[in-house]
Amino acid sequence: MKNRMVALLVGISMAALFTGGCANTEAVKKEEAIAPTVAVEKAEPAKPAQPAVQPKAVEQVKPAVSTPAAPAAPTSAAVSKFETIYFDFDKSDLRTDARDVLSKNAAAILKAAAGTKVQVEGHCDERGSAEYNLALGERRAKSVQKYLTTLNVKAENLSIISYGKEKPAVSGSDEAAWSKNRRAELVVVK
Amino acid sequence: MKTLLLILLLAVPSVVLSAQNGYIEVTAPGNRQLKMAVASPRSTDGPANPETARQVSDVIAYDMNMSGVVIAESRLQTTILSSALGDVDFMSWQSAGFDLLVKGEYSLKEGRLTVEFRLFDVLSRKQITAKRYLGTAKDLRRFSHSFADEILGAITGEKGVFTTRIAYVSAQTGNKEIYVMDWDGYNPLPLTKNGAINLNPDFSPDGREIIFTSYKRGNPDLYLRSLSNTAEVALSNRKGLNMTGSWSPDGSKIALALSKDGDAEIYTINKDGSHPVRLTVNPALDLYPAWSPDGKRIAFVSDRLGKPQIFIMNADGGEVRRLTTSGNYNVNPRWSPKGDKIAYSRMGGGGFNIFTIAPDGSADTQITSDGNNENPSWSADGRFICFSSKRSGGDGVYVVRADGTGQTKVSKGAGVYFQPVWSAR
Repeated sequence: MKNRMVALLVGISMAALFTGGCANTEAVKKEEAIAPTVAVEKAEPAKPAQPAVQPKAVEQVKPAVSTPAAPAAPTSAAVSKFETIYFDFDKSDLRTDARDVLSKNAAAILKAAAGTKVQVEGHCDERGSAEYNLALGERRAKSVQKYLTTLNVKAENLSIISYGKEKPAVSGSDEAAWSKNRRAELVVVK
Repeated sequence: MKTLLLILLLAVPSVVLSAQNGYIEVTAPGNRQLKMAVASPRSTDGPANPETARQVSDVIAYDMNMSGVVIAESRLQTTILSSALGDVDFMSWQSAGFDLLVKGEYSLKEGRLTVEFRLFDVLSRKQITAKRYLGTAKDLRRFSHSFADEILGAITGEKGVFTTRIAYVSAQTGNKEIYVMDWDGYNPLPLTKNGAINLNPDFSPDGREIIFTSYKRGNPDLYLRSLSNTAEVALSNRKGLNMTGSWSPDGSKIALALSKDGDAEIYTINKDGSHPVRLTVNPALDLYPAWSPDGKRIAFVSDRLGKPQIFIMNADGGEVRRLTTSGNYNVNPRWSPKGDKIAYSRMGGGGFNIFTIAPDGSADTQITSDGNNENPSWSADGRFICFSSKRSGGDGVYVVRADGTGQTKVSKGAGVYFQPVWSAR
């Protein structure tokens, strides 16, 4: 008899648990009926099309080796005012070629209308964990931001964001793809 | 509308609970694994629906096989099964080599479902446990999982986790969105539909809410939403990263990585997002906090020694010590619910694998070796670890027993799955 009382209590608590659980399921299913919203990332700045990547620079990229040659100018000013900066694997310090590119980018920012806001996007290649790469991408964006301020770009006109490995510039699982994805892009924001 | 659901315990013969822990030794001499027959339930009204009946016995057999505690076989209804529930031909089952038998019957009338299960010990010819469930047709799998929880409880002394769920990230729509599915991969449901990048879901300890990082308003912010409605609250939208949120075991706090003060550091915030308390002070990247089950310690990832490694600190940030010393890239720590192990993923040879390690750094054990395996998460009973895998055998969410055996793909859809996390009971 005692056992039955215990069993009854267990039964009642189970019933409470399941009632709650089913309420959840109901509501989640209700949500299913809602039409999916159109894919829009509202707060993301109007992003220029991917700047043409200079194949020559890419070929030269090897982990832990600096490439002194400066990449060619962007193919079209209409596509992007800014050139992309590339990094070595798991690194956020600026290579010589990156500094050269940033000098040009800084000049472009300084020539732009007063108050033009620029966001530095940090990106990573697909290797490594998604979470660690988010932090690494931010570190890359930060080192670009810091360098631009030494080139007289006003700090208040610069912001940063990291996309980690979530927005690769190119797909592929080889060094050619990875080297194009380890990058920082500069975009004008409103 | 809440589903009316009553669970009635039937007249259970007085099997003493304390005897159940020793059950396996008593009935299966030697190290032979117990064999369990799961008979498809009998329909008590009208003609049987073999599909329904088969689904029930398949669910229970699947759960029991995954547990590793018994070898279970789903058996279609035969003449010896069509008898009344309590009427068991124990001799036939015994000569067929079974130690345990699950019998059941169901009725499905105007959408109302009644299922009754009984578990028998074939050798001692005794009923071990029994349950009846009342609900609707859509509860069929859930009731079957629930009785599997009961069976595991009767055999091992701890109930199963077969009614729990796994949240994960999938890019099947072209964007990374958060989904929830049953632990066995059935009933996947989308949670977010914002078209932005959504990452790292984590269940509240009561399983009713989820936190995750989303770029839906531009910045990677931490959001909270209930599973029962679509409203999402920005819990932390501080400047920079608001990522890898992890709910404290008592549900009062969330540990996460914020970069508002320069670089990624571990903080705790209250459940409402207020009162950030900084726990790490280091120029390196500190992220992916994981609470010990008693809430007193936090494991996390840091590259303060060059490459990402796992460290443990007290929950107030004190007494930081390095946990992983092998391998040069160790991430994704998750503390087991019993506190005895920390699962993590290690990168080596170009890919990730799941490992477990004791909190004192001993017993570092490789769990997976096939393909690329990341983001381990424990089941509430510590019996299983789920993780995401990319491998030739199929990408998806996999489940493995904590000892590395029984690796099984549970997600059903195509495409890559990311960052699975297992709900509490």
